[in-house]
Amino acid sequence: MSMYRGVATPYVHDEIYMPPLACAAHASHSLRCITGLPDSLVDVDASRLALSFYCIGSLDILDVLNEKVNMITRNEWRKWFWEQQTSGPHGSGFKPSSFMTGQGPASEFVQSPEYSCPHVIMTYTALLSLAILRDNFAGLDRRGIVAFLRGCQREDGSFRTTPQGTESDLRTVYCAFAISSMLNDWSGVDVDRAKAFIASCRTYEGGYGQEPSCEAQGGTTYTAIASLYLAPRSEGEEPLTAAEREQTIRWLSSNQDESGGFRGRTGKAADACYCFWCGAALRILGRDDLVNGLALVKFLDRCQFKFGGISKAPDEHPDPYHTYLSLAAIAMYPPPLGESGSNTSWHLAPIDPLLNATQATARWIRDHVP
Amino acid sequence: MAKPTKPLYSSLDEWVDVQPLEQYEKVNPLAPIFYTDEYKDATSYFRGIVKSGEMSPRVLDLTEHIIRLNPAHYTAWQYRYRTLMSIKAPLDVELKLMDELAVKYLKTYQVWHHRRLILTETRDPQRELAFVEESLREDTKNYHTWSHRQWVLSHFNDIDLWRGELDFLDTMFNQDIRNNSAWHHRFFVVFQSGVREGEEDRERVVRRELTFTKQNISFAPNNPSAWNYLRGVLEFNKLPFSTVTTFVFPYTQPTDPEAVDLVDLDNPPPSKQAELPCPAAIEFLADIYESEGGESLLKANQLWKSLADEHDTMRKRYWEYRIKESLQKGST
Ligand SMILES: [Zn+2]
Repeated sequence: MSMYRGVATPYVHDEIYMPPLACAAHASHSLRCITGLPDSLVDVDASRLALSFYCIGSLDILDVLNEKVNMITRNEWRKWFWEQQTSGPHGSGFKPSSFMTGQGPASEFVQSPEYSCPHVIMTYTALLSLAILRDNFAGLDRRGIVAFLRGCQREDGSFRTTPQGTESDLRTVYCAFAISSMLNDWSGVDVDRAKAFIASCRTYEGGYGQEPSCEAQGGTTYTAIASLYLAPRSEGEEPLTAAEREQTIRWLSSNQDESGGFRGRTGKAADACYCFWCGAALRILGRDDLVNGLALVKFLDRCQFKFGGISKAPDEHPDPYHTYLSLAAIAMYPPPLGESGSNTSWHLAPIDPLLNATQATARWIRDHVP
Repeated sequence: MAKPTKPLYSSLDEWVDVQPLEQYEKVNPLAPIFYTDEYKDATSYFRGIVKSGEMSPRVLDLTEHIIRLNPAHYTAWQYRYRTLMSIKAPLDVELKLMDELAVKYLKTYQVWHHRRLILTETRDPQRELAFVEESLREDTKNYHTWSHRQWVLSHFNDIDLWRGELDFLDTMFNQDIRNNSAWHHRFFVVFQSGVREGEEDRERVVRRELTFTKQNISFAPNNPSAWNYLRGVLEFNKLPFSTVTTFVFPYTQPTDPEAVDLVDLDNPPPSKQAELPCPAAIEFLADIYESEGGESLLKANQLWKSLADEHDTMRKRYWEYRIKESLQKGST
């Protein structure tokens, strides 16, 4: 079947009835994952903090955090996040969990600074999680974080995930930029070098690959675009040339396929997470009006799992990552309320597409980071 | 619960000299994992090893064990790599193991990353491209596998490695002409990795690529990857889209049952079974008209309108945006 030719979908008009979004079930799914994960998910051991962010973030977008979680528990969560802040010879930041922290005699812990070091992606998600929990950030080692970022940047402008590690790609560039923006301090980042790295990941299709010479992909294209628009710039300076901008808009919008969902690469099947990655990138570029929002939510509607949570595609199993990103996509592209107001359950907390959090949370962190 | 694959380290005499370190959890943790005893035991011994700093052959067994339980355990990979270097372990053995793990954990970043580190040490990429080809059989669009191939080619930049790339791509295209990863790889090989011996005549190379793309479009017109490639080739070489107007035009028309098969290598026509008109061709022709400006803008607008209303209604808003933009440009 042709990729372009779709079944004609009803175009947005005033009264569109959607079955209600299963908000309560999605909240329960997130809470269940926070309570505990089966051993079959052991591969998130080294990224548990990010998974926790997706769960808490879902509650934030659904605007049910205070209602579903009492203050005592929220304070315990905050304590857990702070416990993941770690300092060492390479500065400060957050580690994924205590997966490399040993239990010492008495109650103290034992960890090697070299193998229990902060991680760029975890630091970004920890800051957002603490902002969702409305922390006052009194415990934040701001100078340590700046030093940590500086230690992670490589010669080619990209960032390692950890100061001693060797993994690096476009995603970590975004996290470093988002952290710098949240701290309102860019001294840990050589912005020009990082921008040159981003530019080297651009492909002939108009998207960005994970590293230079890789195929254009929705997630990494989001991180590239968000980074370019987060970065400080002099007056009149544009993050992209007009031609680049149009080409990227074209590629992004061509990824909305006949299912209504977005795919991550040309010719692949639609996947719920790309509804966020491509949809948010278009919003940053000021062209969210080009998304067929109704077809998008209808696709995500079909991705809902009957016992809560949202999966990457219809009839797959849900996970916190796809649940969070789908909710964020719905929040950006809600179906019209209509005269009867039937679609109110689909209207969620407004999103800041640059930081990938609710606007209230993004505002909180900018106002409260000391 | 998964069946243990090995006896617990705590029951083994050979490990009695290692002080295991249980995982620390003081505050109520978020999203705790209900670890199996096997994983708990192995990671406790691993934390103990990291604390003592031991690097020995048995550390290789332990980290392999953990990696098999959790291939995303980046610290186990990191420590394994340092141990390999420290005890000067034979790296060909390590690569053999990686052959198995890469296929098993195809979608885990660390598996591929470790492979890169090992190859950087051995500086011997000879069997690497065949390995990639083999593992693409499991998943022909796997992102990590393709990036690995691109890394091998550019890192070693050896003319003997590059030489077979177009033939390799032919076999990939024979399986699936819509595989965008293969199209992307072709662009990388032909245009974005320098000019190699035998490819100095760039005009000839561009002609070859245009012929290749047109031919594949004629076999399967509704293939966005091929149309994106065509755009890419023209843009990269600063050729106007109008270079290929004669080729594109028949694809914007309804299927013509009267058409006779004619052999025109420069402008291969759509096959008789082709589903026409092809939306990607309509978009392409509209771009040509738009760049001509003036009277042609009207023709571009009609084409966009036909996409919005008939041929690509999912993206109605995008086509209407193109119309609005061109009218604005036209009036200033
Ligand atoms: Zn996904």
